[in-house]
Amino acid sequence: MNLRRTFAISRRIANAFKRDERSLALMFVAPIIVLGLLGWVIRGQGEPQTRFAIVNLAGAAGERIQLGVEQAVADAGVAVVQVDDETAARAALRDGDLDVVLVLPEGLIGNPGGPPTLRFITPGINPADDSGRIARLQGAILPALAGGAFPTVEPETIYGSPGGDQLDAFAPALVAFFAYFLVFVLTGISFLRERVGGTLERLLASPVRRSEIVTGYSAGFGFFATLQVILIMAFALGTIHVPAFGPVPAFSVGLGIANAGSPALAFLVALLLALGAVNLGIFLSTFARTELQVVQFIPIVIVPQALLCGLLWPISSLPELLQPVARVLPLTYAIDGLREVLVKGSDLSSAALRFDLAILAAIAVFLAILASLTIRREVA
Amino acid sequence: MNDVDAPPAVVTRGLTKRFGGLTAIDSFDVALSPGRIYGLLGPNGSGKTTLIRLLAGLARPSAGSAQVLGVAMPSRPNLERIGYMTQADGIYAELSVWENVRFFAALFGVHDDDALRNVIEVVDLADRRDTPVFELSGGMRRRLSLACALVHKPAILFLDEPTVGIDPALRVQFWGYFRDLAAAGTTLLVASHVMDEADRCDELLLILHGRLLARGSGADIRARAGVEDLEGAFLKLGEAGPLS
Repeated sequence: MNLRRTFAISRRIANAFKRDERSLALMFVAPIIVLGLLGWVIRGQGEPQTRFAIVNLAGAAGERIQLGVEQAVADAGVAVVQVDDETAARAALRDGDLDVVLVLPEGLIGNPGGPPTLRFITPGINPADDSGRIARLQGAILPALAGGAFPTVEPETIYGSPGGDQLDAFAPALVAFFAYFLVFVLTGISFLRERVGGTLERLLASPVRRSEIVTGYSAGFGFFATLQVILIMAFALGTIHVPAFGPVPAFSVGLGIANAGSPALAFLVALLLALGAVNLGIFLSTFARTELQVVQFIPIVIVPQALLCGLLWPISSLPELLQPVARVLPLTYAIDGLREVLVKGSDLSSAALRFDLAILAAIAVFLAILASLTIRREVA
Repeated sequence: MNDVDAPPAVVTRGLTKRFGGLTAIDSFDVALSPGRIYGLLGPNGSGKTTLIRLLAGLARPSAGSAQVLGVAMPSRPNLERIGYMTQADGIYAELSVWENVRFFAALFGVHDDDALRNVIEVVDLADRRDTPVFELSGGMRRRLSLACALVHKPAILFLDEPTVGIDPALRVQFWGYFRDLAAAGTTLLVASHVMDEADRCDELLLILHGRLLARGSGADIRARAGVEDLEGAFLKLGEAGPLS
């Protein structure tokens, strides 16, 4: 082994890095940004304000407990809301005016059949969020029940089922995330090739309009994004049972996630998101010289979105400074829209879903304009 | 078709292009007649590509003006009459020969398959019609790149170093195409730093530091500089400074 030759190779790498500030910055800055953001999001999470109501079916005995519990949770910073009955409470949960409802059952006190059962009703849109709130409430409620038998807790949800696994809630978010991430990377690299390979120069030396390039790209990649979204959705929502065959045991393909709404609407949400990703890819390819540099945008552009979009933590519990950031990210609206459709079963009569669709369309148009501005005839 | 009385194919007046503090094209005045082959000769960095990009409407002049076929550039509609072969191949590696040609033709609104087959035949790629570009040799890619610049039968053709990196036999073939195009009335401006190609042009434009150093046939320029070869003429005229 010749040390001088070996050293020459190492030095070559160091010299190349000196002129590729982007890679250098990525190596040293990106981990700090991503870890810093992660730390900020996790440590700086406010306890989300919980709006809580009690439905008392236990009569006079329940009233005493109700007062005690309300006092205890109010001391813990929970907003206590009064509701008339369980129907009103469920309506408020559905409308997003309440986060958790506790139902004190008949026979709460002196139930001979064993310990009392407390029912917690939550919206069921974000199970991680729901169980966090219930856990915090339980901490305040249990001391208020002191003396009685230790209650069992029975969770119940408005949407989905509490017995459903985490996947039910994560699936909409993951569908959106995959569509966004892969379309962005593919378009970014493809358009970068146009820029560096001389084909964009040639395109611009023809009578083609910038808007035609951007629309053509959106349609071309949109077509494949469509196929991709259809495949992901089919896999996520469907299940195909394959019977045992010879030595191969029976198995099933697909996640079979509970789906309350129209797959076509969910598809529309994902498609609008993907169109935004196409144009984001075109736009950001301006700032890259090599394919590697497009990939380098992932920790800067994609990872923070994954942290902030509501995929992992509800936006309402993000640090206050980060909440407005989350509100301009397309993934935020796509995940919300997909949850509206798949979990809540909303259709176009839902104002929330129309809002998500409108914002996604607006972001796609905005990014398309941004993209077409980067395709100037004067590319020096 | 060397009709010197016809309106010029290219006219530049005080054409200047600056990039920050660098003046890439400096008060460039020239008029080119139609149906002729002009050689744009100059060392690397002398402004050849910038001049061609200005004429092809890909860059905006900082000062002065450039008219191509009687229209001030940049002009999008005028691009229908201009062909441009870039220094890079500028073709899609994943597409076949035919798909590349058909794509660029569509950008110019040309959908005549017979005409496109003819273009592929002209550059001798008819038997490679369905071959993807990534399987072609460097010389074949260069020919396809030329074909893509010819799909719309442009009246004027800007060729940026079209023969760079190709073997002498193919170079001869290329100049054969160019001569045929000129004979059919096309004006060609061929940028090159290969001086031995100069004598194949009807007229030479010597460019240095973005300025027109000399203009004339190879023989004229050599005689004016009093030297035997163009390289020598270039160096001598470079010392004397630009025209005008």
